[in-house]
Amino acid sequence: MQSGVIFDIREFTVHDGPGIRTTVFLKGCPLRCSWCHNPEGMSCHREIIESRSGKRVVGRLYTAEQLSSILNRQVSILNANGGGVTFSGGEPLMQAAFLAAVIDNLSDVHVLLDTSGYAPERDFRRVVQQCKLVYFDLKLIDRAAHVRHTGVDNTQILNNLDVLATMNVPFVIRVPLIPGVTDTDENLWAIAKRVHRLTGLIRVDLLPYNRAAGGKYAALRKQFRPTYDENRPIQAKLGLFAAACVQVRIAGTIPN
Amino acid sequence: MLDIAAEPQLLPSAVSFNAARLDSQKLRIRNLEHKAVRLTAAQNLLAECDREGLSWPRRAARLVRRMCEAEQPYIHADERIVFTRTTPSVPPIYTPEQWSEKTAGRTLHELGPISNICADWSNVLCEGLLQRKRVALKTRRRLAKEPDAVEFLDCAIETIEAVLGLAARYASEARRVGKNDVAEILERVPALPPRNFHEALQSLRLLHAVVWMGGHYHVGLGRIDQYLWPYLKQDLQTHRLDTAGAEELLAEFFISLNKDSDLYPGVQQGDNGQTIMLGGRTHDGRDAVNELTYMAIRVALYTNMIDPKVNLRITESTELPLLTLATELTRRGLGFPQYSNDAVVIPALIANGYDPVDAWNYTVAACWEFIIPGKGMEVVNIGAVSMPLAADQAIRAGLLARESFDSILRRTAQHIKEQVRDLVERYWHLLLPPAPYYSVLMDGCLEAGRDLSCGLKYNNYGIHGAASSSAADALAAVRKLVFIEKSVKLEELLEAMNANFKGHEDLQERLLHDAPKTGNDPEADELLVRLFDTFTDACESIMSNGRGGRIRPGTGSAMYYVWLTRGKPGDCSDPPIGATADGRRKGEFFSANLAPSPQAQVRGPISVLQAFSRLNYRRICNGGPITMELSDSVFADPDGLTKCAMLVSTFAKLGCQQLQLNTVNLRTLLDAREHPERHRNLIVRVWGWSGYFCELGPEYQEHIIARHLYGD
Repeated sequence: MQSGVIFDIREFTVHDGPGIRTTVFLKGCPLRCSWCHNPEGMSCHREIIESRSGKRVVGRLYTAEQLSSILNRQVSILNANGGGVTFSGGEPLMQAAFLAAVIDNLSDVHVLLDTSGYAPERDFRRVVQQCKLVYFDLKLIDRAAHVRHTGVDNTQILNNLDVLATMNVPFVIRVPLIPGVTDTDENLWAIAKRVHRLTGLIRVDLLPYNRAAGGKYAALRKQFRPTYDENRPIQAKLGLFAAACVQVRIAGTIPN
Repeated sequence: MLDIAAEPQLLPSAVSFNAARLDSQKLRIRNLEHKAVRLTAAQNLLAECDREGLSWPRRAARLVRRMCEAEQPYIHADERIVFTRTTPSVPPIYTPEQWSEKTAGRTLHELGPISNICADWSNVLCEGLLQRKRVALKTRRRLAKEPDAVEFLDCAIETIEAVLGLAARYASEARRVGKNDVAEILERVPALPPRNFHEALQSLRLLHAVVWMGGHYHVGLGRIDQYLWPYLKQDLQTHRLDTAGAEELLAEFFISLNKDSDLYPGVQQGDNGQTIMLGGRTHDGRDAVNELTYMAIRVALYTNMIDPKVNLRITESTELPLLTLATELTRRGLGFPQYSNDAVVIPALIANGYDPVDAWNYTVAACWEFIIPGKGMEVVNIGAVSMPLAADQAIRAGLLARESFDSILRRTAQHIKEQVRDLVERYWHLLLPPAPYYSVLMDGCLEAGRDLSCGLKYNNYGIHGAASSSAADALAAVRKLVFIEKSVKLEELLEAMNANFKGHEDLQERLLHDAPKTGNDPEADELLVRLFDTFTDACESIMSNGRGGRIRPGTGSAMYYVWLTRGKPGDCSDPPIGATADGRRKGEFFSANLAPSPQAQVRGPISVLQAFSRLNYRRICNGGPITMELSDSVFADPDGLTKCAMLVSTFAKLGCQQLQLNTVNLRTLLDAREHPERHRNLIVRVWGWSGYFCELGPEYQEHIIARHLYGD
């Protein structure tokens, strides 16, 4: 039986896709984005968060059956409200076999994958074909900068983006606006150029950086080391996307 | 089924009048400028009451008369609906010694005076006080040989005349200051039936304010969009008023209700029961939503004040545009509307002995308790059953005696039953003081020559089932860890609880995170259902409350969620409950009304609604809302409003009974606690009412901060 580590299941996640949705946060991520808002999603092991309100264990092991049966209890409500289930993380594709098994066990419901695209192509294809919508995070087109700010090379990500455009599954590109890092004209223009001809692209969402990012690190005994100046104002140049004929909007903030 | 693809046509949410005049009225009230006209000295009625040897009913009538006479008419230059209370307090009609003698051997409800009911505003408006007086005189002739009836009717007439006198003095003041239009209105109402919307609102303002002046409190306003609609409808049809004009008048009326909140007794400032009920069904079962329903919501959006507290009756077929407009109020963070599901409430009322025509006409009392305007002398909040206490005592005794889990459940049921019996016994000799003026406003009192304190058509009591989730969680933890998995020894659990989990943190961690929780796990939800079934059984086993009524169980908590945790202020007889088997430490909060325990990790509103939809609401007719806090970030996206409206619709579709939503921003709450001066107008939902955050006691502020926050 497949099992996986989940760090949260949250209902009524209004920023995670259409309608009323429930989001499953899978634990573990190969990236180390210096602005990460969900540091509890990085490690794929159980961890203890210690805050003012006491100790809390994050990370529970679920079998695919257990998780899908929790979700199936509310499928009819999610469907009736134009919503569905979103899988996020961490990087959900780090547990691709488990995730595929969970989705297999789900009743008929709209599934959205929220991914960094950093996964073996085989895993990427396998899960995406089970989804109705993909939120694909695109941070930096420049390879060296990507390594510097996220800890990994972006070749696989860009490759999977091209794969996505052949799969007949609609997708939204999500760009976190990190001051001086991702919000530069060069990067946004490079993203616009990269995505504007892709089949299946619905729009680009720009997610303004939220300065509360560092809050959870101390509770996890991790250090928050931003690779940028937090206080620098964010540029949200929608015009760059418009110029490439790409639908763009500014979403609320980067979801916690 | 909702079709998300089809964007609901949004209704206009802004009022259409020019708000400058009313903005300044609002500002004056929030700056407490109207208090400058308050008289400094309270009256003393004791001497004259004793000198004349007045009976209790006559004292009650005398009080209303003297209060009306003491009022100093005050009309601000920009007012079109007048009455500003100038009397600073309601004087006693008995000395403390006389009072204890009068009440010896009897139990008073709360402060004593009749409270928490709703008048038949519809009837008194459309008859007018002069007609009410004629009714009284007619009955007096018929019952001339019955001294009690004669005395009651004389008292009722005395209060009617007092109100008419007050209206006349306001009319002359209006003439004096050159407001002839206001004067003309007050020369007609409340003596005669209003001829238009403006007159109806002025009549209601005066009639309602005098109830407070008689010492009553939690004075509800009922279904304003029903009983005021005929007046407005006619004005709109004849073009006497347009929408803007009507909204402006309604806004002025709403603002006027905020003048005297500081004079109104309640557990906390703002807990004043000035509720209105919108929507629902007409007396013949048709959809009752009308233009005034929408208008009232828009006006509440504009006024942005704590009164009146808006309630909305819905069903699963209520249309999304109305829910979306109502959700604008939720987004504003006013803590209302509170929703009641007609499809659940009405059958429950009928099943509990209410005539269908009355059930269709239900409103709520101060918080959420379902009552019938004009027809109930019900005491819907005689007290609360402490669910956690029942579960805790059963668990401790059952484990010590090494009994089975079923036996623990039986002990819990027995404890709940005893609590219900104790409450009923305590209120068996309930003393309701005479209320001649309030009786004028109720159905049948003048016709029968009987004060409402003698009883009306419905005379039930209500008991809250408080802090139910924690009780279900404690039982669920014991069942799973001690009985099913056998992974926790009973001695260990008892010891850990007695030590408040000090030195037993690992066990506490397991109780908190490995045990089922209400709102997340069906194993706990099922025990919650059983607790309420048990509670309902206990209530139904009481055949009479001593006043010709029965006992209605409810799912609310009132302020007991704080009292059970921290103790009742000034009362040491019920010590707070210690550490409980759900992993909660002594002193940590219980949830308000129907909500998962604050200590439980929960997934969110869907599971919560599903959990609470399982209750057998047909038997539970005292009300008590599912209480949820939404993060204001829900509304950061443009479709947040629609999604929230869908959540409300889901509540109805699942067959839940009542719902209140609070929109909060945690950072704002924390800042408001530190810097109240920056957040004077911050409104929150407390337990069944909306108040200003900075006017709440620290424990109530703390509780709101500790609640689960959804949609962040």
